[in-house]
Amino acid sequence: MFKLYKTILTLAFLWGSVGWAFAQYTVSGTVVDERTGEALIGSSILLKGTTTGTITDLDGRFSINLPTNDPATLIFSSIGFLTQSVDVAPGVSILNIRLRQDATNLEEVVVTGLATSVKRSNLANAVTSVSARDLTGTTTIQTTDGALYGKVPGATIRSNGGAPGGGISIQLRGISSLSGASQPLIIVDGVYISNASQRTGRATVSGAGASNQDDGSNRLADINPADIETIEILKGPSAAAIYGTRANAGVIIITTKRGQEGKTTVSLSQDVGFAQPLRLLGVDNWSEAKINFFFPESRRPIELERFRAAQSSGTFIDYEDYFYNNQATLLNTRINVSGGTEKTKFFVSGNITDEEGTVKNTGFNRYSIRANIDHKITDRIKIGVSSNYIRSNTDRGFTGNQNNSGASIGYSIAYVPNYYDLRKKDDGTYPVNPYFSENPVAVTDNGVNNTLVNRFIQAFTLDIDLLKTENSFLKAQFSGGLDYLQNTSMVYLPEFLQFQRAQANPGDVLKGKQESFNTNFQAALVYNWNLGSVNMNSSAGLVRLDFADNALFNRGRGLVPGQRNLQQAAIQEINQEFNSRIQDAGIFLQQEANWEDKIIGTLGIRWDKSTLNGDPQQYYAFPRASVAFNIANFDFWNVGFMNQLKPRIAYGETAGPVNFGATFTPLGGTNIGGLLGSVVSTQIGNTLILPETAKELEFGVDAGFFNNRLSLEATYYIKSTQNNIQNLNLAPSTGVNTTPSNEAELENRGIELSLSGTPIETANFRWFSRVMFWKNELLMTRLGIPTYIAGAFGTGLGTFLYAEGYSPTTIVGAPAVAGNPGGFTFWGNAQPKFNMSFFNSIRMMKGLELSFLVDWKKGGDNINLTSFLNDGGGTTKGWFDDDNGDGIPNGRQRPPAPFNNAGRWVQDASFVKIREIGLYYTLPKTTISEWFGSSVSNIRVGTSVNNAFLFTKYEGYDPETSTFGAQAIANNVDIAPYPTPRRMFFHLTVDF
Amino acid sequence: MKNLRNYFASALITAAVLTSCNPLQLDEVQDPNNPSEASVSNNATPQQIQFLITGLESRHRGYVTNISQAWNTFGREIWYLNASDPRFQTDWLGQNGRVPDRAYFGFGTTGGGSWASPYQAIKQADVLITSAGNTNLIPETSKSAVRGFAKTIKGYQFMIPANFVYENGIRIDVANPLNPGPFVPYEQALDAIKGILDEGDADLVAAGTGNFPFALTRGFNGFNTYTGLRQVNRAITARLNAYRKDWQGVLTALSASFMDLNGDLNRGPSHPYGASPDIFNPLFYLPNAAVNTIIVVHPSVLRDTTAGDLRVKSKFLRRTTPVTVTTDAGALVGTHQDARWATNTTSIPFIRNEELILLKAEAHANLNQTTQAVEAINIIRNAAKIGPYTGATTQAALITEILYQRRYSLWAEPWGHRWIDTRRYGRQNEIPTNFDGGAIFKQFPHPQAELSWDLYKGN
Repeated sequence: MFKLYKTILTLAFLWGSVGWAFAQYTVSGTVVDERTGEALIGSSILLKGTTTGTITDLDGRFSINLPTNDPATLIFSSIGFLTQSVDVAPGVSILNIRLRQDATNLEEVVVTGLATSVKRSNLANAVTSVSARDLTGTTTIQTTDGALYGKVPGATIRSNGGAPGGGISIQLRGISSLSGASQPLIIVDGVYISNASQRTGRATVSGAGASNQDDGSNRLADINPADIETIEILKGPSAAAIYGTRANAGVIIITTKRGQEGKTTVSLSQDVGFAQPLRLLGVDNWSEAKINFFFPESRRPIELERFRAAQSSGTFIDYEDYFYNNQATLLNTRINVSGGTEKTKFFVSGNITDEEGTVKNTGFNRYSIRANIDHKITDRIKIGVSSNYIRSNTDRGFTGNQNNSGASIGYSIAYVPNYYDLRKKDDGTYPVNPYFSENPVAVTDNGVNNTLVNRFIQAFTLDIDLLKTENSFLKAQFSGGLDYLQNTSMVYLPEFLQFQRAQANPGDVLKGKQESFNTNFQAALVYNWNLGSVNMNSSAGLVRLDFADNALFNRGRGLVPGQRNLQQAAIQEINQEFNSRIQDAGIFLQQEANWEDKIIGTLGIRWDKSTLNGDPQQYYAFPRASVAFNIANFDFWNVGFMNQLKPRIAYGETAGPVNFGATFTPLGGTNIGGLLGSVVSTQIGNTLILPETAKELEFGVDAGFFNNRLSLEATYYIKSTQNNIQNLNLAPSTGVNTTPSNEAELENRGIELSLSGTPIETANFRWFSRVMFWKNELLMTRLGIPTYIAGAFGTGLGTFLYAEGYSPTTIVGAPAVAGNPGGFTFWGNAQPKFNMSFFNSIRMMKGLELSFLVDWKKGGDNINLTSFLNDGGGTTKGWFDDDNGDGIPNGRQRPPAPFNNAGRWVQDASFVKIREIGLYYTLPKTTISEWFGSSVSNIRVGTSVNNAFLFTKYEGYDPETSTFGAQAIANNVDIAPYPTPRRMFFHLTVDF
Repeated sequence: MKNLRNYFASALITAAVLTSCNPLQLDEVQDPNNPSEASVSNNATPQQIQFLITGLESRHRGYVTNISQAWNTFGREIWYLNASDPRFQTDWLGQNGRVPDRAYFGFGTTGGGSWASPYQAIKQADVLITSAGNTNLIPETSKSAVRGFAKTIKGYQFMIPANFVYENGIRIDVANPLNPGPFVPYEQALDAIKGILDEGDADLVAAGTGNFPFALTRGFNGFNTYTGLRQVNRAITARLNAYRKDWQGVLTALSASFMDLNGDLNRGPSHPYGASPDIFNPLFYLPNAAVNTIIVVHPSVLRDTTAGDLRVKSKFLRRTTPVTVTTDAGALVGTHQDARWATNTTSIPFIRNEELILLKAEAHANLNQTTQAVEAINIIRNAAKIGPYTGATTQAALITEILYQRRYSLWAEPWGHRWIDTRRYGRQNEIPTNFDGGAIFKQFPHPQAELSWDLYKGN
């Protein structure tokens, strides 16, 4: 290798001395894919150390004029391929370059600053990039976050359940906040979008409780995953420091597809699929002996009569099967039109997602239109706009927790024996459910739980080249945008339902209007210059964020039959009105230095202030520093099989925002006996509240072997948070219960490993394989306030311990143990021991591609209250078996003894999931032109499965479920969730 | 040159944008949803004082749901059947060996409706007293009236945590949220409450005569004069004095209360309820509703009735279909529901003439004034159409009779009378547990949050 270089160099010098008389010279040639020999269109050729360059044409040909007659280095790059540097000199006129596929993504550009980026091989952080291919290349997934499972080391992703339309939580590198949901900041094309899990009102109508039991979607669900070009995940403060106040839980940067110069392409895709439950548990059969055991004496005669009647007619109903085991149709239509000229490029897409749920009357519809346009006003001024209108219409039905109302399928059927028929009668009425307060068939047929979102996201960028010299440039960059989200929700239970009839005012409708309007603006100056052989990139700028939210919920009870208008209600109630306004402002400076791709360092700082903080005028500083050493780029490196070795270290600080209202001590409004009153709040505001801050030290090594056939990324991090906000519980005897405090500190330590490569790579067969492993350990290093327990449903059913020296994911519960911190028995821990994922993609026979993704979570306990309910109702499969032969059935003796403690419902939620399988075939070009001539350029067909198989000992529909939605803690509670679907698709894509 | 001009132009535009709306400038923060507590701390307007008074009435009813459901379950006046959460049965009945802990189901770490709620009413009363004291916009007599009303409610509310934790004692000095006083024993707490009620009475006297100067809800209809509020204050004091075993004090307080031996037994101040924006009567259930969450009459109450008792007829409704709830501790069947509430907007009285007459009987019995005791008992018995008392007239027998009458006269009132009464007389073992296999709780430990606070402060 080195000999070759020397030869070239010698030759170059020779040519140089001979050809000095030429003022300039031209190098031309072709760039092709090394493996297939196909021309690479649009590859870039850059004269090293300058801003001079060109790109290849439709045949992969290029020609570049070199300004002087000195020897020079040309850098050949193409997206998805490894960059090659080639030394040239006068006389070298023809170059045929063969680029290797970048299986390990060393060449991709990663955003590292607010206005700058760096290529992966120079990156000093473990930033995970998920390309369109990774995201949606294997199968079609409803929501973007749902498509990240198993693709991001360090991420814990959980779904509320299987209801259509999302409802997913992402936690990166453990948790950084105790009070919020510890969810990452999401930025789409530069717009800080809302990912709120907005209230739907279901938990109010069903009686479940607060809105965190609504099972609402998080609003990332509105983004069409097929529009996404790449997702970059800054997992912790070391990478995300420049994002400041809102970056404690990481940052997810989504970049959508943009037009390319060249022929206009029209791409039409259609998915047709169906969904069925991934896993059902089965229900228990009944016998006369079981009835005699289960029911009190006074009830036995009627139950035995019902049982015998069912026996004689053979009518036994498996309600789990009846409600959940339906086949849902899944339809997705996508059209993309993209292209452009050197001056103007565009990408326009339309998407219709029309997916039913496996429960009757549930489904998700999303209509999305996008136009991404880039235009060069002059050579120096570029403008880009990205406009996206979305309309999401979601019906999520009635599952999950409830109280008294019976408005939950799983909750209700836990109590219904299979010999009783709840189905609609011939006369159109529904039988009264004598086992619970509601007939779930009637609720499923007639209840409404709908959310309709209209949303507009607009991004803009304006780049101005202020100065451009041979080896430096200065540019100004303005960017920003808005996210306007309007959410209309309705939860409706008609007046004829059993529970409604049992109310003084039958019929219940709760209507919500929520509006959020976020704007953000950023201005930056970027100066790129050279200090000797060090390339310097300096940036400075300011950031401004505004968030405005308002919500109005109205409820009507006592409805005119069939009517849903609030004015048709006897009891009209303003259920909630809430407004918030938040403003953040920040300044940042960043300096990157790159010494010949050998040592790459970054220093940066951001100062932020926010109206959420106790002192809204106080700036908080968030520094960062990182350095990477590309050892293999040094001259002394001569380990042939190892072509990349990059130790790296990074440090950064970020913050998590204070909750809105933490500084207020309000007087609440109340009405009694026709008078309006003011009541003293049970919270005392803390006007000194500080943002939560986090520091992270991350170090690791990236290595490439066998010419990047194999690459390893290993990272260790220590993320410690300070000033964590939690409520300090005051003595409730003082009439106030809480005040927000800044006392707690958390520590997350973890490792992330990723090994990927192409074990086999021939012209006809290419096998790409990737294994990821990650593990996080969370610890409360300081609590600062007395040990307490909180979350889930109290000590009787398992709750969480907040104590110094323990992880807040620790599950404790009855019985009380005086000696333990918090005073209760330790029963488990929600935190997994580790996660692993295994992805394979095999391309063979010119056009056939098979890929699959396996996800493994080891350890991590759930609080499975679905089991608790089913046991209570005697419907758990095997309930009446008696393993220990003591005459008391298993369903009344869940271990551990003495069968009255919280440990009974704490279950290991380890699993292996075959998350995605896809098989695609791209028709040969020759066949296409035979069939369609030149009108069709590409046809791809395929079939895929999402959530193909689940292997677990967990006794629930899905070990990854959360009845409380996205929360930092207590996001592992299972209460009668909507079963997760297995989704199977057929795909067709035609490009014109 | 042209380029240079362009730079200047863009720089100017940028500068103009930056100065016209400085992106680093943040607006002042104000709560867009509520007034602040500070807004009433100085020179509150009469209207603001009015809002705080109504707020106090609202806080005053905060305990009703929890106490009605829980304490009446502890005393086995009712079962609160709840199929959605079996813990209302298993935990509240003490089944399978469950005993109250510091974060017990239904009370949480703050003690919920049995601890935090009454103390919130006390806090509201304190804020009201301070606001009224710190304003020049209402006359002195009104300030005195506000103090009298607030202290009357405070006295009532303090009895709730006191009875919840009983021998564990409560905090009386709770004015400073960051520095609450110590826990004082039950007897001492009751004496302190007596002091608060007496001060309230004196404040109402000092306020003068005529109508209370602020609007009270219809719950105080008939009592919204200085005289009327004093009668309420003394009625509450009579109940308190019974707990203090100050039997002469009971009689003294009753004489100044609204007790009327010939009057309507139901007369008394109440908590009003109504349609939104108010809240509905939390104890109302539609007759025979096909639900499985409902307060039902405890079987022992049904078992022990006297034939022809009007109270049984008017208070208990036999359901067409019993309510059955099954838990891991077995099944409970409720055959009768609560029939006291005509609608879901019916007010719930918090102290009634009937209780005052029973207190009179109890005081006389304890003072061995047998004749007067029997007279009072007979007022109750005659009203219930069960004829005059014919049993033994020993003190023990009379107490037994009075406690029996209290079971039916004061059945399931939002106070947990049976639980408290049996404890007062050392008769908790008389509460039957054979219907549910549970256990009777004597009292609760201090809620965890109280303990935590003391830990935090290093006490």
